[in-house]
Amino acid sequence: MSAYPKSHNPFAADDDEEENTGPSRGFNFDDDPEESSLSPAERRQKQLQREVTHTAQSAVDSSYRSLAHIYESEKVGTETAEELIRQGEALNRTERMIDNMEQDMRTSQRHINSIKSVWGGVVNYFKAKPEARPPQKDEPVSYDGSSSLQNALSESRRHEAKYQASHPNLRKMDTSGFGASASLDNEPSDQNGYPRNKQLRTAHQQLDQNLDEMSLGLRRLKSLGQGLQSEIDNQDVSLDRLLNKVDSMDGKISSTDRQLKNLK
Amino acid sequence: MDNSGKEKEAMQLIAEADKKVKSSGSFLGGMFGGNHKVEDACEMYARAANMFKMAKNWSAAGNAFCQAARLHMQMQNKLDSATSFVDAGNAYKKADPHEAINCLNAAIDIYTDMGRFTIAAKHHMTIAEIYESELVDIEKAIAHYEQAADYYKGEESNSSANKCLLKVGSYSAQLEQYPKAVEIFEQVASSTMDNPLLKYNAKEYFWKAALCHFIVDELNAKLAVEKYEGMFPAFSDSRECKLLKKLLEAHEEQNSEAFTEAVKEFDSISRLDQWQTTMLLRIKKTIQGDSGDLK
Repeated sequence: MSAYPKSHNPFAADDDEEENTGPSRGFNFDDDPEESSLSPAERRQKQLQREVTHTAQSAVDSSYRSLAHIYESEKVGTETAEELIRQGEALNRTERMIDNMEQDMRTSQRHINSIKSVWGGVVNYFKAKPEARPPQKDEPVSYDGSSSLQNALSESRRHEAKYQASHPNLRKMDTSGFGASASLDNEPSDQNGYPRNKQLRTAHQQLDQNLDEMSLGLRRLKSLGQGLQSEIDNQDVSLDRLLNKVDSMDGKISSTDRQLKNLK
Repeated sequence: MDNSGKEKEAMQLIAEADKKVKSSGSFLGGMFGGNHKVEDACEMYARAANMFKMAKNWSAAGNAFCQAARLHMQMQNKLDSATSFVDAGNAYKKADPHEAINCLNAAIDIYTDMGRFTIAAKHHMTIAEIYESELVDIEKAIAHYEQAADYYKGEESNSSANKCLLKVGSYSAQLEQYPKAVEIFEQVASSTMDNPLLKYNAKEYFWKAALCHFIVDELNAKLAVEKYEGMFPAFSDSRECKLLKKLLEAHEEQNSEAFTEAVKEFDSISRLDQWQTTMLLRIKKTIQGDSGDLK
């Protein structure tokens, strides 16, 4: 963190066309006519100011990168959501088909019973006829995620304001942003303070903007994640149900098979 | 795994099966349980096909499956026939795409006949993918995707339908059929924007629709953006919408540098994919080609 390459010194004179005359000169300020006229304390201050700008800049860059990541995650999340919903529809269809199969199995069982024996046929007559269930043309189970998702959304919105106010980092950032420039407002700043403060100020403003966007993005990601979770939970339940139905179907089919073989 | 041996075995099975079929055709064979013979032949064809698959002789495998399928049809086993056709299609996919498409089409006919539209739609999608990748016939691919989407809609599988529609939309836009593309994107966007889980992607579809509007006419695009903002307030917060507004401005001023600048800025945060880049390039050409004739 120490030997900063003495590149473009933003704290120099206003119209500073100062070329980067050489690589890292370390703290050899004697070459620089302007700097050599400053007291060690002021030199130190300049150095700190440079560090501050550098840090602010890297913070802004990092926030851009984070923003990019957040958007990418959102994209992945939305694609996952679409796949999940498609899967849910497929599960629904499967369940409907299994139900139909069950109906058919019951019918065939009756037929087998009547074939097996006269007595079986009589018993059939008394057994309740399997009500022809209306072919389950269900209304598209509009996958409304779940109501918990809606609640989560409204909850997070309510807490959003409180969260932002209470979050220490956010508050510190605000004051530090302008506080830093405020403290720099004394001493050497009087000579060439304005541009420096402006620079820092823009950096901090950019950072704040990015952070706002990031928080919006994270909020969206959170609700997306919650929605995905509730969808997965629902599908989990229906998978278990499906598993049971298919198992019992399996048993019925094999027993029907056996009966048919015996009929032969 | 002695696969070459498998191939010989498979050839033998096919020869045997052929004999069986012939013999069942004759009067005597038909009398004494010709059906059994045909069934056995079917099974032998299927086994032979599987052995060809093991030996990686895809066209022979496809052939054998096709034979089996035809025999099943003869015996009125529609379902088995359809499954054999599908197997044939899968085998042919690796060797002869045209044959594959033929087999899959035959299977689709059987399925639609039986009323199994979902699975027919799935096979339409497979065919469309073959057209997309191996035969590169975009028109036919679009046709099949459209058919698949219609079947899915009929079976209330809206997500799958949307997936197909999106492909239709992007390809139509690529082929410069913009009004169709716009309609499709708008339709998909409005159906997804109410769903709490899918609405995060609605902005993407609005963005695509607006891009297509833009290529046609700048004024259209402006009206469209306003309309979408009204329909879907979250759209105005999205970066895509902000980019659109910047692009509209740049286009008005015929400033292609501002245009490129805005696109680059957007790209630095989230990459633009191939399709979007192509569309943007086309729009940019209209700026440069435009002789200042705006509204």
